[in-house]
Amino acid sequence: MATPALLVEGLRVISREGQVLVQVDRLAVPAGQTVALRGASGAGKSTLLHALSGLVRPTAGRVVWGGHDIAGLTEDARAAFRRQTLGLIFQDCHLFEELSAQGNAALISAFAPRADRAALRDGAAQWLAALGLGKAGSRAVDSFSGGERQRIAVARALAAGPPVILADEPTAALDRTNADTLGADLVALAAAGGRTLITVTHDAPLAARMARTITLADGRIVEDSHG
Amino acid sequence: MADLWANLPPLAQDILFALLLFCPGLIAGAVVLRGLRPLPLVGAMLRRFAPVNLLFVALIAVSVGLGVGLLAQERGLRQGSAQAAEKFDLIVAAPGSEVTVMLAAVYLQASDMALVTGPQYAEIAGAKGVALAAPIAFGDSHLGAPVVGTTTDFVTHLAGPLAEGRLFATASEAVAGAFAPVTVGETFSPAHGHGAAAEGDAHAGFGYMVTGRMAPTGSPWDRAILVPVEGVWQVHGLSNGHPPGETQIGPPFAPDLMPGTPAVLVHATELWANYALKSQFTRGDLMAFFPGTVLSQLHGLMGDIRTAMSVMAVLTQVLVTLSVVIGLVILVRLIARSLALLRAIGAPLRFVFAVVWAYSAALIVTGAGLGLALGWVAARAISGVITARTDVLVRAALSWPEVHLVAGFVSLTLILALLPGWLAVRRPLLADLRN
Repeated sequence: MATPALLVEGLRVISREGQVLVQVDRLAVPAGQTVALRGASGAGKSTLLHALSGLVRPTAGRVVWGGHDIAGLTEDARAAFRRQTLGLIFQDCHLFEELSAQGNAALISAFAPRADRAALRDGAAQWLAALGLGKAGSRAVDSFSGGERQRIAVARALAAGPPVILADEPTAALDRTNADTLGADLVALAAAGGRTLITVTHDAPLAARMARTITLADGRIVEDSHG
Repeated sequence: MADLWANLPPLAQDILFALLLFCPGLIAGAVVLRGLRPLPLVGAMLRRFAPVNLLFVALIAVSVGLGVGLLAQERGLRQGSAQAAEKFDLIVAAPGSEVTVMLAAVYLQASDMALVTGPQYAEIAGAKGVALAAPIAFGDSHLGAPVVGTTTDFVTHLAGPLAEGRLFATASEAVAGAFAPVTVGETFSPAHGHGAAAEGDAHAGFGYMVTGRMAPTGSPWDRAILVPVEGVWQVHGLSNGHPPGETQIGPPFAPDLMPGTPAVLVHATELWANYALKSQFTRGDLMAFFPGTVLSQLHGLMGDIRTAMSVMAVLTQVLVTLSVVIGLVILVRLIARSLALLRAIGAPLRFVFAVVWAYSAALIVTGAGLGLALGWVAARAISGVITARTDVLVRAALSWPEVHLVAGFVSLTLILALLPGWLAVRRPLLADLRN
């Protein structure tokens, strides 16, 4: 699938209590760009990322990926969009503890069409190998270190070959060495596949690896720097 | 349609009814799981919360087991008591309570009863259509086993050929029931009376020698010791029904020399003759009744209790079903984070729904299966206790009513398990993902 460009217009996410969580008038991310979302805690970074992934339905505005506005889609349609287009990485991995590394990496095959399942399992195995876990695919994930667990989560995000990777604090739970390794891996994987990578992070070294850094405060973009 | 159903063999009706009960649950499963593969995830969730899941399965198993055991036990008891009365076609006794006489004559429950006199017995034995008229005389015991006076014809009628030894041939010989606490060749002196009130040395000096052992009958007679009725009369200092000096045992008895007997078992030459004999001896100075009919009336009376028990069993199952569903809703909270992850990475709501339903179904089906086994084990154990205490052979085995109960329970619960599935997909995705 060709990597879609992102266009956000008039985006508003307002909580049930009426608090404005995100207010972005316009944001464009070209296909294949790497972007760091930064800001203080509560600035709206994760909420913006969730709106971009369709996990949150915006109160107003458009989130257009490759010409398709996902803001108005049903939940199942947004799930299908995520399945086909996005690879999501979370701060604390979110692994199924009773499944093996391979089982977690190939999780998407559980609900994929029957014809795609074998390819997804192969893809997961290849990504595990590429991330240095090829020989440990059959091990239960509770036997892995934090850095290894996050690499399993990355393999899961990439198993279906998504053109876009959205990561929420992917290195927050890792030590410096593991954080640097994972950051380098993510940027390399994005570059190699022409993927768009958007990551929320407090981690300056990780942000420094990105082509663009967007800073938020009170839900608004207050700085947008390239290079 | 009703005619078609009525014309089916009972087994086919039972199988079809079970399938019909299962159908809603099976259809729900087929619709929910069609084209999906949730089992690996369900297996992971079952392992993840194994202690909670095991507890849940155990609760379902115990509740299903209680229902199954109750049904099987009640039926086993009914069939066992009916089988014990099978050989007692018609009983003639002095007027009184049919139930009391039946309990005494068929189930050997000691009771004070008026006697059928010698002339009355002679009239019964000589009546047209009578093939066997056996006196049954109680009053003594040995090591807790009733010692019952009767005739050799009755022994053969009751148990068929002996399993061991020979029939009694003199007034001081005895035949043991299959499980009576005496051995062939042993001589014993009977106690007067039964239980704690029995006088052990009342008949000291009089002994019966055991000459044979009956085959099992599945009735309290298996623990009894059968002796010639003449022996019972003699040991109580009465005339023995025959002229002095005669050593004959068994009929015919001299009416004027026969001390009387609490009950007479009558077996007719033809089935229809039993009804004529019943009518003939139902009069002011005698009563005649079919133990099977009295038992049936008792079962009918107890039928109300049985119905109440059945209603209670069904109500219990309904309450358990509701508890299971509420429990499943609570269990879904345990797996909410995993479900949220699935939704986040693109799982369709239908798949998440299927995972929850299949997870619930695994617990329900496992619990119900174990419950069926548990009910069977419990029914067997309780049957053993009842048989040991009453000598009425109770064989509680699982049968179609229990299968139908479990099929109905499983099916209903599988349908209701759609509710936790529906609630699961309505949960807030982000909140669950963060928890």
